[in-house]
Amino acid sequence: MLVKDIMRSPVTVIPTGTTLGEAFGLFQSRGIRHLPVVDQGRLVGVLTDRDLRATTSNLSGTPHTAGDPVSTAMTSPVLTADPLDPVEDAARIMRAHKIGCLPVMDGAELVGILTGMDILDALILLTGVTKPSSRLEVALADQPGELARLTAFLASRNINIHSILTCPGPGPGGALRTVLRVDSNQGRPLAEALRAVDFEILWPPPKPWPN
Amino acid sequence: MAALIYRPEYAGYDFGPEHPFTPARLAMLLDLLQSLGGPVSPIAAPAATREEILSIHDEAYVATVEALDRGEARPEADQFGLGTPDNPIFPGMDRAARWLVGGTLHGARLLMAASERRVLQLGGGLHHAQRGRAEGFCLYNDLAVAIQALVDHGYRVAYLDIDLHHGDGVQNLFYDNERVLTLSFHESGHYLYPGTGHIQELGGGTARGLSVNVPLEPFTGAEDYLEAFEAVVPRALDWFSPHVLVVQAGADAHFDDPLGDLALTTQTFQTLYRRILELADTHTQGRVLFTLGGGYEAQVVARVWALLYLTVMELPVPQKLPPDWLERWRTVLGPAVGQNLHDSEQTFPELGGREARTRRNRDVVARLLDSLCPLWF
Ligand SMILES: [Zn+2]
Repeated sequence: MLVKDIMRSPVTVIPTGTTLGEAFGLFQSRGIRHLPVVDQGRLVGVLTDRDLRATTSNLSGTPHTAGDPVSTAMTSPVLTADPLDPVEDAARIMRAHKIGCLPVMDGAELVGILTGMDILDALILLTGVTKPSSRLEVALADQPGELARLTAFLASRNINIHSILTCPGPGPGGALRTVLRVDSNQGRPLAEALRAVDFEILWPPPKPWPN
Repeated sequence: MAALIYRPEYAGYDFGPEHPFTPARLAMLLDLLQSLGGPVSPIAAPAATREEILSIHDEAYVATVEALDRGEARPEADQFGLGTPDNPIFPGMDRAARWLVGGTLHGARLLMAASERRVLQLGGGLHHAQRGRAEGFCLYNDLAVAIQALVDHGYRVAYLDIDLHHGDGVQNLFYDNERVLTLSFHESGHYLYPGTGHIQELGGGTARGLSVNVPLEPFTGAEDYLEAFEAVVPRALDWFSPHVLVVQAGADAHFDDPLGDLALTTQTFQTLYRRILELADTHTQGRVLFTLGGGYEAQVVARVWALLYLTVMELPVPQKLPPDWLERWRTVLGPAVGQNLHDSEQTFPELGGREARTRRNRDVVARLLDSLCPLWF
């Protein structure tokens, strides 16, 4: 999944001369929180609703007013993303710098914007949680072939996998926690069948009473 | 007093011998009802027409089911959720599903015509089916077709779903409809299919507050379940004041069901059925339509749904299962069936972690009511 797959486009931009009052109007009417600021087509900054609140607040020493230009309040310079960046790289940059958006540049051209909300959408899509499904959590030995053995088992039963995520378990050399969402109402029988061929199934747990 | 709807054609809804949703459950049940409560003469309802199916489902989806019904190959079937391990393709599938929808719809019509107050449809309850897609063993949503007919008649409809699984199809189809209240009690979707039914799913637009979900912890037993039920359902009905109650009475929340982890007993189900009839008397002048639903352990569903029948019909509940019935269905029932209609108290063990489970279930109900109260009152 690449940035271009989940970015918002086209993107609303404002010229440097725009007033804070006008920007506030755009935030309200479009339900957005980030406005890239351009000077003759060139990206020069981003005005966030946080920038606007902070600089215009009566609690600040010298609050800006509605007539001031956005260039006095915007964040600059700006970190940007490339449309072909993997989503996880973009997420890592946003997290590391604690920023809520990345304007997306194709060369010198602003082609979209990626926000924290888009990253959440990507997470939801990646986990397959939007489709009716059962969730299985499997502890896989961290060695070649284990994931293949798991997916081959599901394929042999014609079970479609909506998503598959893995994360390292605790401790060095620990098992990989693998979370699957499968297109089936038969998650528990599937878990029992996997247990029968020696997979360690974390969820669903075995029934605590004899069946 | 109460009408029973059933016809032998329901057995045609058959995904094959390996599939959990097997029609053998119904034949066995009907035989048990006859052995227990005397002769049964159910109403044989007509199949739903194509137009009636289209009151809920997309034309492209229905046309695909029809083509598969005739044995035509449709490579795009899987886009409609068809031809999967959950929803295999079989000849006659459109017709088979329309018999089930027809029965539930007929039940709704009996209520609208005021010729009956209580109806039990011995089949259907296909609550996962979506507008343009088969889901979770459900081809056509019989409940939604019936609810739509009741709404078109001018009724406000309360839908109550006590199946193990979230009633996602019915909820989605009426999510923005201010004439329909959906209430679903189910095992939480943390790992169970379909994964939805969270307390935050409250309905859309002017129908906000009309989708109500009570997701319960795995291994939740009778006490917590009934406590949650009492905290939510009477209040919801009181506020919404529906004309009619439609109940999806799946039996898969029983502790012996192979698909799930709720831990209800036959005793819990009987308590629930009695309470639902009481609530119908209080809130809908007794108008209530029950369907069956999920339930995948033969010896459990036969006993649970026999209790549903006896309770709805106000017949005495015998202690013993008829020996001749046990003999006839011995291979289907398996060794676990025992001699009695009810679970024996010993079959169900006390589970660990009960206090933590109860606390989490109470938290969920409290948070749900916190969200609903400002919307309701
Ligand atoms: Zn179910």
